[in-house]
Order: sequence, then C-alpha cells, then structure tokens
Amino acid sequence: MDVYLHLIGQGLAIGLLTGILYVLIALGLTLIYGILHIVNFAHGEIYMLGAMGVFYCYVVFKLPFAATLVVILLLSLLLGLGVERAFFRPLRGQWLQLVVASVGLSLIIQSLGWIAFGIQEKNVPSFFTGVVAFGGVRLPTQRLIAAAVGVVLVGLLYALVYRTKVGLAMRAIEEDEETARMLGIDADRVAALACAVGFALAALAGAFVAPIYSLNPGMGLEAILMSFLIIIVGGLGSITGTVLAGLLVGVLQSVGGVLLGAEAAYGLVFIVMIVVLVVRPAGLLGKA
Amino acid sequence: MKRGLLGLLIAALVLLPPLGKPYVLHVVIVILINVVYAQALYVIMRMGYLSFGHAGYIALGGYTSALLVTKLAITPWIGFLAGGVVAGIFAWALGAVTLKLRGIYFSLSVFAFAEVVNAAFRAFEVFGGPAGIAGVPRPALLGTRLNTHLQFYYVVLAVALVSLFFLYRLQWTRFGFTLLALRTRETERLAESLGINAARYKTLAFVVSCFFCGLMGAVHVHYLRFVSPFVFTFFLSNDLMIYVMVGGLGSYWGPMLGTVLLTGLGEQLFAAGYYKSLVYAVVLLVVILALPGGLISLPRILRRGGARERVLPVAADVTAARER
Repeated sequence: MDVYLHLIGQGLAIGLLTGILYVLIALGLTLIYGILHIVNFAHGEIYMLGAMGVFYCYVVFKLPFAATLVVILLLSLLLGLGVERAFFRPLRGQWLQLVVASVGLSLIIQSLGWIAFGIQEKNVPSFFTGVVAFGGVRLPTQRLIAAAVGVVLVGLLYALVYRTKVGLAMRAIEEDEETARMLGIDADRVAALACAVGFALAALAGAFVAPIYSLNPGMGLEAILMSFLIIIVGGLGSITGTVLAGLLVGVLQSVGGVLLGAEAAYGLVFIVMIVVLVVRPAGLLGKA
Repeated sequence: MKRGLLGLLIAALVLLPPLGKPYVLHVVIVILINVVYAQALYVIMRMGYLSFGHAGYIALGGYTSALLVTKLAITPWIGFLAGGVVAGIFAWALGAVTLKLRGIYFSLSVFAFAEVVNAAFRAFEVFGGPAGIAGVPRPALLGTRLNTHLQFYYVVLAVALVSLFFLYRLQWTRFGFTLLALRTRETERLAESLGINAARYKTLAFVVSCFFCGLMGAVHVHYLRFVSPFVFTFFLSNDLMIYVMVGGLGSYWGPMLGTVLLTGLGEQLFAAGYYKSLVYAVVLLVVILALPGGLISLPRILRRGGARERVLPVAADVTAARER
C-alpha cells in the first residue's frame, strides 16, 4: 500500500511538472484561437522543431545553452510572423480553409522533418544533473527547472495579455473584432504578434523537454493531442482555464500511467474530456 | 451528356478490369475505397464540419469485421455490415455530445477519439496489440473464396457503387437539403426557428458518414487480409480531408475528383515515403490559397475569364464562421 502511495505521490509531482509544459503549448493555441478563431494544428510541429533545435544547436554545433535558447526563440518568433503573413492572413474569416491550411502546414513541417532529421531517435544530454528529494518524492533537477521556466513564461504571458496595451488589443479583438478595428486596432499586426508569441511558447516548451524524451519528427502529435484535450477541458480562449486544465491533464496522464499504463491513461483523459463536455460544455472556465 | 459519361464510366469499371494487370487493379481498388471514404467525409464537411479523426471510425469498422470473422467465424458479408453499424453507433455516441457545441469542439473531440481508439487497439491483447490481426479471410460467394484481385475488385466495386449512389441521392432528399441549411450559424438558427432539431440532424449526418466509413473500412481490411493499429492512422484522416478540399466543396463531384487525382498520384509516390505527405500538403496549400473552390471550380472560373470571383457560392457559405 505504501508503495502505491509513494508511486502516486511521484506520479502527481511528475504530472504537475509535465502539465506545466503542456500548458505552454496549449497557451499558444489559446492565444491564436482568441484572435484567429482557429486551432493551429501546426503547433505540435513547432514544439518538435524547438526540441530538434536544441539537438542541433546544443549537441551538434555545441553552442552554449543560453545561446541555443536565444536562437530558438528568435527563429520561432520569425516563423510565427512568416506563417501568419503567408497562410493565415490571406485566409482570415474562412474557418474551414484556415484550419485545413494549418493541417497542411503541420504535414509539410513533419514530412520535411522526417526527410531532414531521419528516423533515428535523437537524445539530448541533461542540461542540469542531480535529483532533488521532497520527503519521499525524488524529482530530477532537470524537470524542476523546466517547470520553473514554464511558470515564469506563463507569468510573462499573463503580464502581456493583462498588463500591456497589446494585450488589451488582443482581448478587444477577441471580444469584438469589428468594433476593435473601428477603434483603430490593427488586427493583422496583433494576429501576427499572437502567432509569434504562440510559436515561441511551443518552441520553448519543446526546448525544455528535449533532454527528457527521445526526439523524433513525429513527437508533435502526442503534444498536440494533449493540448487539444486541455483547451477543450479548460474552455476555449480562457487562459486561466488552460493553465488549470493543463495541470489536471498532466497529473491524470502521469498518475493514470503509473496505475493503469500509458494507453489507459489516454483513455482516462479522454473520458474526463467527454464528462466535461457533457456537464460543462464550455469547459471549466470557458464562456458559454 | 453528364449521364452518358457516367454510364460510360460505370460500364468501363465493370467491363474493363479482366483486361487489367493486377497492379492496375490494385490502384483502382485503392481509389474506389478512398473515394467512398472521402465522399462519406463530404457529408459532414458539406454542412461545415471538419473531422480530424475519420480514420478512427474506419478502423472501428475494420477491426469489428476482422474480429467477428477470425474469432467467431462469422461470414465476412455480415462482418462488413457489422463494421458499418459499430462505427455508426460510436459516431452517434460522440456526435450526440459534441455536435450541440461549436464546430471546433466537434473537430477536436473526433481527433482525440480516433487517437484513443488507436491506443486501445495497441494496448489490448484482444485486438491483437501492436501486431494487429492477421489472416483475415476474403468472403466467399457460391462456394468460391474471392481470393484473386479481380474477384475482390467486384466486391469493392459493388459496395462502392451502392454507397456512392446512396450518398449522392441523400443530397437531394429533405434530409440532405436540411443539412445544407445548417452550414452556418445564421442559417442554422433560421432552420431551428422553423422547428428543425439541428443537433439531431447533424448527429444523424455524422452517423451516416461514419457508417459508410466503417463499412468500407471492413471491406478494406478484408482486401488487405490483416489490420493493425498502424493501418488507419491520423494520416489517413488528413489525406481524406485533403482530397475533399483539393477537389472542392462546391459539388458532389469535387471530393471524387480530388480523391482520384491525389490517390493516383500518391500510388506513384508511395515508394518515396514521406514525400507523399509532403506533396499532398503542398498541393493542398496551393489549392486553398489560389483556388478556394477547389479543382472542381476550375472550369467555371476559366469560363468566366480569370479568378475574379474568388469563392464559389456554396464553398463561401461553408466557410463562413462555422464555429462562432
């Protein structure tokens, strides 16, 4: 019995630490959804590119860790701006086309990834070694630091959305785009910024999981699946809802994985999503 | 004219195959199977809904039939139907919950559902685990097992023609017109104000769509003679969506055109692995950006002289803010 309690404690802690990284990906989706009203399917691939970026910059080209992060940050911001300009802007207001275009984009990045990076799984050595023990629960420093960075990034995002003028513009567009445009808000620029920030969050999440998982070009699929479940459970467009749901899903997956096995944990998370859809269709904190 | 062409095409499909080589037959079989999948998906895309997980329902149909036939020794003919029915039941269950909500909830839930179904097939020994189920027999007719390509071709052709005819006729029924009226938030409200239960119609449309996917999925599995979690994946769902979008949403013949062209192309690119997805995706983006009505809108645009009119009427309606 004691062993089980211990395992659950361990699962709970790991779940929270993983959950915060899911939150980063899901928040980018939420941000883009708020402005463009689409879910960006290519988001999982940006996460994959972030992780691959670490492999190439940090392992292959031996850049310092900080420089690696800067490179990934800049490239993902640029990619976000570029994708918005090339694909999302011409299709504004055409929901079906927009979503399908993001699926196409995801396929392009993924298949190019398989062609360029190969099918060999890649591993990145830990940035930080060591284990920290809290009571009976032992956590790798690596995961703790990744989670800490996640918390900081979530805090920064809150500040951006709720404390800056750009954030005000974002919320205004989400509320009522037509009125926002009439008041002189440049919706295209705000959309570009949302994409850039969203992409950067996903890429950074990828960068911090790089030492935790084996990397391959298909790794975005699991991440995007979990993120979709999270934004449904949390409520589309709600930042706080996304954060709560991300932690919840992380814990469910981790504890469920320990007790029932990885595949059953998927099922568990899915059942939670269906229950939420039945009981609270708009999600935990979503507006109906 | 149109009717004559169609008759000619069907006659060719019935009469020519004995002359074809097995490889050519294989390509035609794959095309026929994909055409039914795409046309079934079109039922819900026509009413403005996207599904990222139709492969999940195809897999449900395939596994149902494979299990019934290999474990319980039931005849494949009943297996086919059972595949469709099981897929339909699961579609009803998910649709009843999600189709009352905004379109995006539906799309994401179907995607998650398909992944969970896939995980279940991988996890449980009953379903054969990652190795899947091998030795799925072909059906027998009048005492002969339909083991050759040519014999099974006619099974596929029969199922495809019946399905396609049904899905075509469905558009011109009261039910089909009602679905068209649910394309946008505004027209949906209007329909509801006339006493139409939109959620029930949408759920029924999803059930019909998944029934035919499950049915053809079962036929597909008996064609391959095996099924595993890696046969019907997310990539199949994507491909189907791409066929429909590239062909065009404006007409019943659009998805068919897209499927025939891209499946034909895909068979040629098959050896090249990931290049197939790459080419499909590039074609998709080019068509979406340059030709929003899909390839089927091309003759009309050419006749008008230039792509002045950017979006065909029906396609425009379908794209209007579904999820808001």
